[in-house]
Amino acid sequence: MKKYCLLTAFTVLGLISCNNEGTAINNVASMKTPQMENFDKAFKSLGEPQNRPNEEERKRNTSELSDRRKALLVPASKELILSTGITEAEITRKTSGDMSQIIVWATQIYMQKSDEIRKNIKTEN
Amino acid sequence: MKRILTVLGIAAMSFMYAQGGTLIINNYTPYEYRGDIIANNSLGCYPIVANTDKIIVPADSHTGNGQQLQYDNYRDQYTSSLYPNPNWTVSTSVSTTNVRPWNHASLIPGGTISNNTKWAATKFDMFDTGTGSYVTGFNANLSVSTCNSSAPTPFYNTPSGLNSAEMFVIGSITYIQLY
Repeated sequence: MKKYCLLTAFTVLGLISCNNEGTAINNVASMKTPQMENFDKAFKSLGEPQNRPNEEERKRNTSELSDRRKALLVPASKELILSTGITEAEITRKTSGDMSQIIVWATQIYMQKSDEIRKNIKTEN
Repeated sequence: MKRILTVLGIAAMSFMYAQGGTLIINNYTPYEYRGDIIANNSLGCYPIVANTDKIIVPADSHTGNGQQLQYDNYRDQYTSSLYPNPNWTVSTSVSTTNVRPWNHASLIPGGTISNNTKWAATKFDMFDTGTGSYVTGFNANLSVSTCNSSAPTPFYNTPSGLNSAEMFVIGSITYIQLY
């Protein structure tokens, strides 16, 4: 039981400490890995004329990003996941190749990495 | 037994955390986003949740520079987001609307309102802080909602063709992107 109490205490501490990190945020961009940068670029590229939703995509009655446009995010997402040491086989096993799952997984890794960078900046300061 | 309960508790919490999903606003433009973000129920539209005061996301604020607006849920946004929203306007029917603080019991992960709403729409104007005026033609209502059989309207191009905006969903994350 003690173990869990301690674990909870540390989690809470961790959460509190995460809340005060706005100040160091500007430096995050300069410390990103190339995989993180590519992931950013992929998201931004959705606004490029050739990547904007086409006629057919505009008529769809769903909020989910179209497969064509998800495919624009998948290579950078995979790259980012692979950069953490996870293998291609593991990605396939965990996501069964589902593009949404791959992108969301990569997003979580991205956020985690950004937090780590922020923490490093904090300890350096 | 205690152990099992603890593990189950943590599992339940992480499950509830996932309800409603995360909202991310990526503003890639040189203009300020000034708008409303709206969540609703995918079936009957109600309950509807919206910010009480305008949401402002400065120019060039996105995941690329760590300045994106990110709301993981109605409550934790207040302590974890760069753009904390203190109050939510909650409508449970056409005639019943209340202003609720960010930590109201119905809005916390697992709360009734939290469990029954998803990010649905945004209504915004883009503001040029340089000239102190709104950008002509760069304002829109975007929606990914299909409640009451409404059709989603998730894209917008400015008449000049210089800018665009869209709202879309990838799995559990809802994005609003301004280009």
